[in-house]
Amino acid sequence: MPDHLSVTLSALADPTRRAILARLALGEATVGELARPFAMSGPAVTKHLNVLEKAGLIRRGRDAQRRPCRLEAARLKEAAEYLVGFRQFFEGSLDRLEDYLQELQKKD
Amino acid sequence: MTLAAQTAAEPEEARSIVIERLISAPRELVFSAFTTAEHLAHWWGPTGFSITTFAFEFQVGGVWRFVMHGPDGRDYQNRLVFETIEPPARILSRHGGDDDGLELASHETRVTLEPEGDKTRLTWQVVFVSIAERDRIAREYGAVEGGQQTVGRLADYVGGLG
Repeated sequence: MPDHLSVTLSALADPTRRAILARLALGEATVGELARPFAMSGPAVTKHLNVLEKAGLIRRGRDAQRRPCRLEAARLKEAAEYLVGFRQFFEGSLDRLEDYLQELQKKD
Repeated sequence: MTLAAQTAAEPEEARSIVIERLISAPRELVFSAFTTAEHLAHWWGPTGFSITTFAFEFQVGGVWRFVMHGPDGRDYQNRLVFETIEPPARILSRHGGDDDGLELASHETRVTLEPEGDKTRLTWQVVFVSIAERDRIAREYGAVEGGQQTVGRLADYVGGLG
């Protein structure tokens, strides 16, 4: 049973889709605008957009002509938290270890 | 599939998390920070965490039994057994156990210290029994840290992914 986090992570497991998300982090864009930096046809980009939309990572506007794509930050935030959370635990510990060792060395 | 069969099927790096850092302190000092409960209380866990130690025996087969108090008020029961101690280079320990109330975590932690000039290269590898176990733990710890994320950092993160 694919929970929505698995769907999100699987959508993120493709470099083109990550590049599309990185572009959308700067602001909304149309399919044509998104296709331009990649050597890809409109339909190929649309395929990626469908995957991203299904994963809840983007939303497409209602405007039938342009249908601009927008980043859906909430779902992406959840995935990012999941990916960095455990690592942050150790990074956070090491930050404190470094501070503590600095203190110990000052005492000497 | 049995747990053992599952573990054998998954390469170690796929079920590990590895953190590396160059620390501005001599190796002996870095090592000593891992060797007493008093030292560990100063730094174990990110900002906002604190620990209470019930038992600490820094020797092979010795146990470190402690509670981690999270910034969200939640307590995490922990038990860790030291399996290899090679001062000042290596500490291997196993996390988890079957005591009442313990977190159902079972992973091996390998801390390796290498001198680099007057600094120390610390490698912290956590090997989980399976990818599923790693993901479960990552999700729980991720939830603890969750409140501190911002959309700005998220955008940086996404930018870095490409």
